[in-house]
Amino acid sequence: MANSSSAYRRILLRIGIAGVVVFAGLQFVRPELKNPEVTNELQAPPEVKDILRSACYDCHSNETKLAWFDQVVPAYWLVVRDVKTARQHLNFSELGAQPAAKQRAMLYEAINQVQLGAMPLAAYRRMHPEAHVSESELAVLRHYLETSTPQPEVSAAEVSAAEKQFSDWVAAGPASAKPPAAPNGIEFPADYRNWTPISSTDRFDNQSLRVILGNDTALKAIAENHINPWPDGSILAKVAWTQQKDGQGMVRTGAFQHVEFMIRDSRKYASTKGWGWARWRGTGLKPYGDRPSFSDECVGCHEPVQGNDYVYTAPIRGQR
Amino acid sequence: MRLRNRFATVFTAVAAVLLSGCTAPNPLIATHLNETAAFGGGVKLNPLQGKVITSWVDRRTAAMSTLTGNETAVRYARAGGGPAYPAGSTLSLATWGQVEDGRWFGARIPGAPRSVEIVTVSQDANGQRLYSYQKYEGAPLKRVVSREAGPADERLQFLISQRASVLP
Repeated sequence: MANSSSAYRRILLRIGIAGVVVFAGLQFVRPELKNPEVTNELQAPPEVKDILRSACYDCHSNETKLAWFDQVVPAYWLVVRDVKTARQHLNFSELGAQPAAKQRAMLYEAINQVQLGAMPLAAYRRMHPEAHVSESELAVLRHYLETSTPQPEVSAAEVSAAEKQFSDWVAAGPASAKPPAAPNGIEFPADYRNWTPISSTDRFDNQSLRVILGNDTALKAIAENHINPWPDGSILAKVAWTQQKDGQGMVRTGAFQHVEFMIRDSRKYASTKGWGWARWRGTGLKPYGDRPSFSDECVGCHEPVQGNDYVYTAPIRGQR
Repeated sequence: MRLRNRFATVFTAVAAVLLSGCTAPNPLIATHLNETAAFGGGVKLNPLQGKVITSWVDRRTAAMSTLTGNETAVRYARAGGGPAYPAGSTLSLATWGQVEDGRWFGARIPGAPRSVEIVTVSQDANGQRLYSYQKYEGAPLKRVVSREAGPADERLQFLISQRASVLP
C-alpha cells in the first residue's frame, strides 16, 4: 500500500516537473509586440485623454504597457493578438492623421462601445479594474464630443448638388438600372422603397437624417413582438441622407448618402451572426466593400448589441 | 484525497476570480419595442402603414416628423410632381418629440407622439381638387382639427409642398 502510494507520488512529481519545464519553455515562444513611434496622436483636452489613456491606450495605442501577468504565456499570446487587432481598428497614436470627420466618427464609436459595456473588453476589465470607465468619466467623454462636434450650415453648393440629385433621380424614374451585387453576393433589394417605416434617426454625430424601413416579415415580427431573434426573412433597411438646414431650425433630407440592409437568414448567414449585411452608396448605388469579408466591419460595429440580435434600432410599436 | 481537495480549492478560487468580474447585461441593450413613440388613441389611419415620402426635424420644437403616403400620393411625390397631388392621395404626417437614442450616443429618435396630421385629396364633379385636413394631438391622441381646406390653407400648403426624399 505504502509502495503504491509512493509510486503514485513519483508519477505526479514527474508530471509536475514536466509541466513546469514545458511552461518555462513556452515562455520563450513570444510573438513580438512593439510599441511603434507615436506619430499622430489624437488631440483632445487633458481630462479626455487621461480617461482614454487609462481605459483604452493599453490596446488602442502605440503606448502599450503590459502588467507582469499579461506577459506570462499563454496569457501573453492572447494579449498580443488583442492588441494587434485593437490597433488595426483604432489606434489613438495615429488617429490624428485621419480627417477630422473620421476622427470624430471613431471617437463616437469608441464612446458608444464603452457606454454599451462592450469596451474595455470584459476579460481585460477583470484583470485591469483601473480601466473601468465610471459614469462621471463617461459624462466627460460625452460632453467633450457634444460640445466639439460642429453643426455646420449647409452651403449653397450642397443645396444645388442635392437639387440636382433629386432632378436626376426623378428623371431616371423608378426603373433605373439594377446595381451590382455586394461583394458578399447579396443582391440589391430594389423594393425597399415601398417598405414601411419602423423608426427614424437624427444623427448629430455625423449630420445625417435616417429612416429605418422593414419588409413584411419584419413588420409581422414587430407586431408580434418577436424581435429577438428576428425571424428568417426579416429585412431591415436604413436610408441615410445629408441634413439640409434652412437656417430657421428646419432640417430636411438633403442628398442621398447610402442605403444599408440587414437580411435575416440564420443558416445562410450563420458565419456573420445570422444576418446578411450590405450597403450601397450614392445614387449610383455603388456596393460598399471590396471583398466578401467587408461584413466583418458591420458585425464589429454591431457587436455591442449582440444581446439584441445585433440590431440597434428599437422599432416603434404599432405598425399593424 | 488531499490532492483532490486542493484541486477543488484552486478551481473554486479561479472560478470566483473569473465570475466576480461578470456584470449584469447592459439595460440599454435589452430587447424592446419603442413603446413611447407608439400611436394610441383615436387615430383611424396609422401613419406608419404608408410609404415614406420624406422626413424632417424641427430644431425649434425638438420634434421629428415622417411624411408618408398611400400608393397614389407616393407615386406622384417620387415623380417630382410638386404640390398638386392627384385625387385619391392620402398623406400622413407623424410627429414625435425627440429623445436621445439610448443605444447610440450621437443620435436622437422618436419619443412621445406630438401629433398626427392627415390630408386627403379628392375632386368635385368639375374636376376641382378638394382637400380635407385632420389633426390629432394629446395622449392618447384625439382629433382636434377636422376641416375642409383650400389652397390658401397655410398648413396644407406646407404639407403638400414637401419634396420627396431621394430613394434610388
